[in-house]
Formats: sequence, structure tokens, C-alpha cells
Amino acid sequence: MTPRATPSATRVGSEDEALVARAQRGDRAAFEALVRRYAERLYAVILRFVGTSHEAEEITQEAFLRAWRALPRFEARAQFFTWLYRIGINEAKRHAGRGPPVEPLSIEQSRLEDAPDMTDDPGRRAAARDLRVELERAVRALPWDYRAALILRDIEGLPTRAAAEVLDLGEAAFKSRLHRARMRVRKQVEAYLGEDAPR
Amino acid sequence: MLRMLSPRFMADHLWAQRRLSDYLDGELGTVQAARVERHVHRCPRCRQFLATLRRTVEGLSTLAPEPAPAGLADGVVERLPGPPWAP
Repeated sequence: MTPRATPSATRVGSEDEALVARAQRGDRAAFEALVRRYAERLYAVILRFVGTSHEAEEITQEAFLRAWRALPRFEARAQFFTWLYRIGINEAKRHAGRGPPVEPLSIEQSRLEDAPDMTDDPGRRAAARDLRVELERAVRALPWDYRAALILRDIEGLPTRAAAEVLDLGEAAFKSRLHRARMRVRKQVEAYLGEDAPR
Repeated sequence: MLRMLSPRFMADHLWAQRRLSDYLDGELGTVQAARVERHVHRCPRCRQFLATLRRTVEGLSTLAPEPAPAGLADGVVERLPGPPWAP
């Protein structure tokens, strides 16, 4: 499942519920199914917080291990993936606080070419690619709390309520944080936003 | 330059600016959304700002994820111990 693919939330939610219930009874295979379902998605989110793919991989593994150990305490009223995301982001934050700042992942390593471009015009494709480079830079330049809100809502595509739940915020506080994050990013990339954008 | 600096206009301007994200996300009620739209219609600055904010958010939604390393899920599964809470 790609980060922004949206199978029926209800169907996914009830499938997760069944797997979680089995895993809570000690069914390791059920938890493995959850790992395979969410590992790539969690990795993609964590990578936006840390400097290298190696770190992101380690933190992803650690997040799942923490989730596995904490599973008996997980309550079904929450969505499994929002709980997992929270563990992953907290783990990334904890990791970031441990060592010296790491150089962010090279933007050129991102799959810029793979993003959807609805045009055959090479000039517009190049402009779109330039915008994506600057957006990536702008996101990485955000303070942690702003970055988390923006990544969850605008890049991962989580609904506001789910994103707020991941960050353990009320919706109003989350929206305020998101708005400030968007403002900062907009300001940083406004020269790349198109013909009539401010120069 | 703002066309009219009447207190009412400025109040609407400040009010709308704070709600542009919510407006973009369709999270304002009908009355509030209409108020934003009325102001944006009259305020070139907000019109421009909303357009660039919209393009920013749209651009963010196109950022492709880095592909995960091969064997990521396998690596997690290999490290899973038996259920620590099992009797």
C-alpha cells in the first residue's frame, strides 16, 4: 500500500482490529501481518525526520518492537496505525536527541522523477521538479513539531483527526500547528509556485 | 495595497488569514467559509496568498516517498521475540 493509497478506511480498520486482537492473544503471525502492512509506510514517515535510510530502518524496527511489547496495553478504540505512527515518531524524536545533528538525506536521492506530472511540457515538468526539491528542503527545515504536523497531514494524507491523534493533540492545537508549518513552507518556496507567484 | 483599510475590512482580513488552511481543507462551516470567500473576493492580497497556499499544499501531496530498503519487513519480523506477555 502506497502512503497515499486509500482503501476503504473501514475495511482496513476492521482488518487491523482482527489482527491486533489475535496478536494480543500471542499470535505472532498476526503481528507479522501488521508489520508487512505498515513497515514501508512507517519507514517513509520516519525517514523524513532522520538523516539516513539506515537510521530510518533501525528506528522503524525499534518502533515495531516497542509496539509488540506494548500491544497488551493497546486499546481497540484507537486505530492501530495511528498508535504505531505515534510510537515511530516518538522513537525518531528520541533518536534525534541522542546524537549530533546529521546531514539531511540528499534531496537528489529522493524519487523526484516518480512524482505524478500531468504534463508533457518539459519546461513545466522541470518547474514541478524544482518545486518538489524546494518543498523537500522546506519541510526538513521546519522545527520538529511543525514538521510532524505537516508530514502527517499534507504528505502522508492522514485526516486531521487521525493526524492530531498521532501527535496526541486536540484538533484545534493540531490545526494551528499545521497552519504555521504551511505558512513557513509557503514562504520558503513561493518563488517556485508558478507564474503568478510573488518573486 | 489594501483597497480599503476600514476597521471592518482589516478585521475580516486578519480573521480570514488565520483560517485559510481550514478553508483549504474544507473544515470551516458554511457561514465561516462564505465569510472567507467574500473577503478573498475583495482582497487581492488574500486571493494571491490563498492561491500560493493551495499550490504549496498540492505540491506537498505530490512528494514521493523514498522506497524502503528491500527486506525491511523481514528484518523486523526476524527480531520479533515471542510474545513477552505470554505465560
